[in-house]
Amino acid sequence: MQLFIQLMMNGIVMGCLYALIALGFAFVYNTTRIFHIAHGALYVAGVYLFYTFYNVLEVPLVVSILITLPILALIGGFLDWSVHQPLDRENSSLLVHLLSSLGIYIVIVNLIAMIYGNETKIIFPGIQKTFQFGGIILTSIQLLTAVVFLIVFAGILLLLHKTDLGKKIRAMRDDPELLSVLGVNTHGLRLIVFSLGAVLAGIASILTGMDVGMDPHIGFSAVLNGAVAVIIGGVGFFEGAAAGGFIIGLLQSLIIWQTSARWEEAGTFLLLIIFLLWRPQGLFSSGQRAEEVTV
Amino acid sequence: MNYLFHILVMINIYIILALSLNLLVGYTGLLSLCHAALYGIGAYITTLLLIHTGLGFLPSLLMAMVGTALISLIVSIPSTRLYGDYFVLATLGFQIIIFAVLYNWISVTRGPYGIPGIPRPAIFGLIFNSVPAYFLFSGILAGLCAWLLYLIKTSPFGRALKTIREDETAAAAFGKNIPRLKNTAFAISAGFAAVSGALFAGYMQYIDPTSFTVMESVLILSILIIGGTGNLKGPVIGAVVMLLLPEILRFLGMPDSIAANMRQIIYGLVLIILLRYKQEGLAGVYRFQ
Repeated sequence: MQLFIQLMMNGIVMGCLYALIALGFAFVYNTTRIFHIAHGALYVAGVYLFYTFYNVLEVPLVVSILITLPILALIGGFLDWSVHQPLDRENSSLLVHLLSSLGIYIVIVNLIAMIYGNETKIIFPGIQKTFQFGGIILTSIQLLTAVVFLIVFAGILLLLHKTDLGKKIRAMRDDPELLSVLGVNTHGLRLIVFSLGAVLAGIASILTGMDVGMDPHIGFSAVLNGAVAVIIGGVGFFEGAAAGGFIIGLLQSLIIWQTSARWEEAGTFLLLIIFLLWRPQGLFSSGQRAEEVTV
Repeated sequence: MNYLFHILVMINIYIILALSLNLLVGYTGLLSLCHAALYGIGAYITTLLLIHTGLGFLPSLLMAMVGTALISLIVSIPSTRLYGDYFVLATLGFQIIIFAVLYNWISVTRGPYGIPGIPRPAIFGLIFNSVPAYFLFSGILAGLCAWLLYLIKTSPFGRALKTIREDETAAAAFGKNIPRLKNTAFAISAGFAAVSGALFAGYMQYIDPTSFTVMESVLILSILIIGGTGNLKGPVIGAVVMLLLPEILRFLGMPDSIAANMRQIIYGLVLIILLRYKQEGLAGVYRFQ
């Protein structure tokens, strides 16, 4: 029982990370319908940029984060500006966007691997400080992850529901064409959406890197888990993406508990396929099948 | 000299993979990301039959083709109900699940330890032991596959697939059974992927699951897209270009550790650029619209 609760707690912390990745993915996917595989590359770029500032150049921790995240935002916006917007002008299909995004992923990840090598890097060497709560042990990074998630999630909800920008983002989700008719600069808005997504990927990857370290290839399973979270939570529904992240986190803990860690990705995708077949609109949205929601 | 023939053998193997995937991507319009898994299943079935039953190479190959085609139905029957990126994601999911099975089902596949000691193919007493002989053998099989796929492409069945690609609703209106056509195309494609698997197993004489990862599926798909889809020429040119490229880097004197990444970066850039400026690839006919 003790072990079960411990694993569930780990699952919730993992869920926080997946929820952050999923929210970042959702910013792009919900509004543009681009299957943003490059999100995984931004995830990797985030933690390696942080590593460069904090471990290599020995910049203070908070400053490193404050430099890394804006750079990531710029890269995220640049990807849309340089690749996806030109494709859009030629009315390319979403599959072309997906494949181009895959191309971006391959380029960025291999650039990073070329610079830093394929081996695992550690940000904080040594043993982390732990806290006990009635027999449940959490590391300081795990606690930090939970706190950061709560703050960021609250921030996203405020942004989406209380600000003008959030209203525009939700409007773009519903009908980008109508939004541009109303005189909103949707191109600029897309750059913001891509940048926000990149920042969220960076936050999640820096937290992961602090906890367990990283190698250049962690991005692919990160973006896949994020995408699955968005779909099972319900495309178009930002809160759903977070919920999907927690479901995947808990599911993976259960799988690790019952079998071995090598099945965890297969479990996530089995869940996805079950959802695609029986509830393709996701847990929380209702009505249309997600693939039929028009862009 | 063996080095040159080694590359040619690998090109033959990838030509069959790209041609068989072309049946899905180029003719039917289904962007599948689990081709490496099917390739792997073909390799494993051939290997297990060769090692445990004492069957010859050709019977093992035929049984692997049928077996892989049947297993592919597990992937295609749920996936072909989906469209667009959902289809891609579902096939990607099966790729990851099949890889996990190959990796974890240790009693059958020996998991990460792999299966060594696969005998070289022998047909009618001829053993293809040297690399040049294997090139000849794989070349004959690749030619045979290309010919069969050409027959399929020009058959009424092939034309029906093209109709699905161009306009699925119209095809349905003509009374075509869309799911059955898609699943059949998937099974045929998987059967041909198994030929590559068998050739790979017989050539390397050792297989483990790491040859059949998601990234391998991505590579096969990039070969096809860079070469071009919708005809026979595109996949062949794609395989030749994509497999010769890293060798050119080697000749330029790039250290191996960087060359592997450099190769991937070039693949990625070529993919992005072609999708932007020349969607039909180097020699294909079909644009993704």
